[in-house]
Amino acid sequence: MINNKTYDVVIVGSGISGAVMAKTLTQAGKTVLLLEAGLTAGISLDRNGDYQNYVDYLNTFYTASAKVPNSPYPNIKDAPSIDVLDMQPISGANSPSTNGYLVQAGPLPFGSDCLRGPGGTTLHWLGSTPRMLPNDFKMKTLYGQGVDWPISYEDLMPYYEMAELEIGVSGDVNAIHWPEASNKQEQVELKNKFYGKEYVFPMEEIPTSYLDGVFTKLVAEVNSKNPVKVSGKDTKIKFSTTPQGRNSVPNKQYPYRDITWDSKTKKLVLQKDKYWCPETKKVVDGSLEEKYEYLPVGATWDPNTGQRCEGNASCVPICPVQAKYNALKTLYKSDGDKITIKTQSVASRVLYNEKTGEVTGVEYKTYHTADSITYDTNIAKGKIYVLAASAIENAKILLASNAANSSDQVGRNLMDHLCLLTWGLLPEKGFPFRGPGSTTNMSSFRDGDFRKEHAAWICPIDNWGWGWPVFSPGSDLSNALAKNMFGKELRDQLADMLPKQLLLHYECEQLPEPDNRVTIDPAYRDQIGNYRPVIHYDASDYMKKAFETAKGINNQLFKATGTQDFTFYSPTLTADYVGYQEQGYNFWGAGHIVGTHRMGASKKDSVVNKDSRTWDHDNLYLVGCGNMPTLGTSNPTLTMTALTFKAAEAILKQLEK
Amino acid sequence: MESNKKAANTFLDISVFLTGFNKMELLGTGMLETYFNVVMNMNNVALVESFLAESEKILAKNQGNAEKINNEILHKLMPDSLYNGLAKNIITMWYMGNWMNTVINPQSYVQGLIWGVAETHPPGAKQPGYASWASAPNTVK
Repeated sequence: MINNKTYDVVIVGSGISGAVMAKTLTQAGKTVLLLEAGLTAGISLDRNGDYQNYVDYLNTFYTASAKVPNSPYPNIKDAPSIDVLDMQPISGANSPSTNGYLVQAGPLPFGSDCLRGPGGTTLHWLGSTPRMLPNDFKMKTLYGQGVDWPISYEDLMPYYEMAELEIGVSGDVNAIHWPEASNKQEQVELKNKFYGKEYVFPMEEIPTSYLDGVFTKLVAEVNSKNPVKVSGKDTKIKFSTTPQGRNSVPNKQYPYRDITWDSKTKKLVLQKDKYWCPETKKVVDGSLEEKYEYLPVGATWDPNTGQRCEGNASCVPICPVQAKYNALKTLYKSDGDKITIKTQSVASRVLYNEKTGEVTGVEYKTYHTADSITYDTNIAKGKIYVLAASAIENAKILLASNAANSSDQVGRNLMDHLCLLTWGLLPEKGFPFRGPGSTTNMSSFRDGDFRKEHAAWICPIDNWGWGWPVFSPGSDLSNALAKNMFGKELRDQLADMLPKQLLLHYECEQLPEPDNRVTIDPAYRDQIGNYRPVIHYDASDYMKKAFETAKGINNQLFKATGTQDFTFYSPTLTADYVGYQEQGYNFWGAGHIVGTHRMGASKKDSVVNKDSRTWDHDNLYLVGCGNMPTLGTSNPTLTMTALTFKAAEAILKQLEK
Repeated sequence: MESNKKAANTFLDISVFLTGFNKMELLGTGMLETYFNVVMNMNNVALVESFLAESEKILAKNQGNAEKINNEILHKLMPDSLYNGLAKNIITMWYMGNWMNTVINPQSYVQGLIWGVAETHPPGAKQPGYASWASAPNTVK
């Protein structure tokens, strides 16, 4: 297939950052070529085809023996995805571990995955959308750790609001606890300062789980009678409800209707009255229409499906009704006349003029059918290029192209939240395995002076029992059968124990470290000759000290709440097992793959500037979690989406110069 | 044909004592025929026939006396050394919809009994509706 057309913008990847980019640019009248590595069936503009494809995903999930995040989705040899089931301990005998798509050089295996396919990882994400805290942007200045961002929380605020509209966030701004607030008044002042006095989310808070109620009540008693001691000091444990990209009841106070490009002021604007009309393909004034009220965005195949979360309790890996946001919802809002989508097209290299640095094309390989060994190589041409292929893939493509790397930072500073899991039986039934994955989080340790010494964390209360660490309820059945239990005795035993299961996970903020990195090696390639990512990864003492502190707090909490502790750590539980102060800890990946092409204030030590434009190539932008200089304690998708709106604004400005 | 029907009935009758669910609950999953076929097809037929013959004997001899039946099941069906672990595999099949570690089909996962035992529903199916998770389960006792 020969196509010599030059588009305004070539985008690589149809995940959330690629989709936000495609929608924003095409609605502003620009032509876009979108390259997507995954199967054609995953992007269907025909609703029936779209639905049938999604039913295939769902049935694949039902029959998967291990229901891991990527289990519903095709894993194509021509564009492989990471499978967490491929993780294994790395020792002298198997270094690097080449079990799966990733080449794991260690010393520890990287424990998170993402999805290469239409809609990207938003198909399997949980959907939690807390903002980062203002102090997260100033880690070096405040705590002497990591780096500062080149922008502040305040700079990002308007883009956070855009991201919350685009994703469709449900939540209560007043129920987000600020770690630095010591009383109610301070809490209100911080909220007013960092969200705005009037600000509300598009939809009301997702109801918190019954389990949240049971556990937070037990902790409230501990707080008042026998508070947890941290470094010898009485510490009250505070909770926040979690904002999330999941449909609930529209908030009548929410004023915003759309995000549009204003070519006069050269800005993206959150509009109250105006909106981009898909029929006329123009921005129109809706102020004379009936009173605006936010409308939840339903399933891609039927807007009336998924208007509310229906409690499927399977957000990861798949929401059967698409009440949970996914990037295809945004992608399908693109102007169909302006967007060209090429699927089964895997970007392999960025081509550029050595003298000027100007990017001249993206080389991509189009494979003919799933797993086929034949493909065509083509060059996509645009005025501006955007890599939105995920933190690992973006870094890999740049390294393969020897591009954007004058700072030597491409691929470095790979980060994730390292999750320390703890599990026990509550003194009463909390009835887990119901509702969204998490609706409440322990937020007291998201910020504080302790960040000079060890990582901060957020600690969600997990609503799905012990499934994550020990594969409950299947393992509980196996354990009972091993004791020869059967019949009524078996049923009663499980009926008593499963509803009491409590799982917490302490998501600890990993710092940027140059040696945690993605590299490439000609010895490791996939079926169509593209590089497989080689991952070098370890956990520093800054992380391990956080495990020790978090576990200490957890032990006090379990004891004081009468929660029977079933937590154990061992080298056979997961491949990520570390020792610290004579204690062993397992940690689990959070799926928050961040930091491989960070933004910064100087081209010396960063890959992109604050607009996500590469320092080395004026017409190359990188979007996605790879841009984040530090991770904070927030699930990164919301922040990444905010950065993507900022980048889209910069691209439109550059195109209209 | 007739002998197969009889064998399926024995399979159902012994499943009641193995799982702790009554006949109506087991039939209500709609999975009896599928599970019976899995047992017949995935095992040595002679082994299944002797398992069912032993089951029939235990049930007939004890005339519905649950205590006696359970005691005999414990010693004559449950031990791993007998019938290649068939009794436990049958329990796992009803509870999880799996044969060994493989999910039999999408419906078998959805009809797994364990979710009801935990007073919930299989994740991704039989969804209880908006805000249901905010209250204790509305379980019919």
